Amino acid sequence: MVNTILTIAMAIILLSIAISMIRFLIGKTSVDRVIAFDIMTVSSIALIAVLAKMTGRIIYLDIALVYGLLSFLAVIIIAKYLEKSL
Amino acid sequence: MIIYLVFLFILLALMVGAAIFSIIQKDLLYAVIGTGVISLILSVLFFLLQAPDVALTEAAIGVALTTIIFIITIRNTVRFEDEHDRKEAGESKKFINN
Repeated sequence: MVNTILTIAMAIILLSIAISMIRFLIGKTSVDRVIAFDIMTVSSIALIAVLAKMTGRIIYLDIALVYGLLSFLAVIIIAKYLEKSL
Repeated sequence: MIIYLVFLFILLALMVGAAIFSIIQKDLLYAVIGTGVISLILSVLFFLLQAPDVALTEAAIGVALTTIIFIITIRNTVRFEDEHDRKEAGESKKFINN
């Protein structure tokens, strides 16, 4: 039962990643693409957390932690470049 | 178990899409963000294939370090490959200031 619910959650998260990828591919402005990249990162963190729950190993959550910290840094650097203040 | 193979193939298709976008894009900033998307999806794929240590290294180096170093390089050089691309992008993005 729990496995079924987590599998459905994984499918929904993958759908959200696919929709953000469509926005990333056809996006007109720079801001569209950067925001789509950020949404894909957050969705990936959610996917990793669901997988950690499914496999039952809490140590896998460390990867989600490192991921969140570093992708935040990358998006901040891109935003500073677009603001011309890097 | 077949449903995880379907998830794997969806992620692989998204990664190929990002790679093609990153190759044909003339704006170097978008190409760099495309490589960031590639390593992001690749990291999730490594995690799905039971290699969490490789996924951790890929997330640290691919998403953060490569993107930041390339952005600093673009800042110090040019964003567009030639003058024609710059004019074309400037016309389509008149309403936003970059």
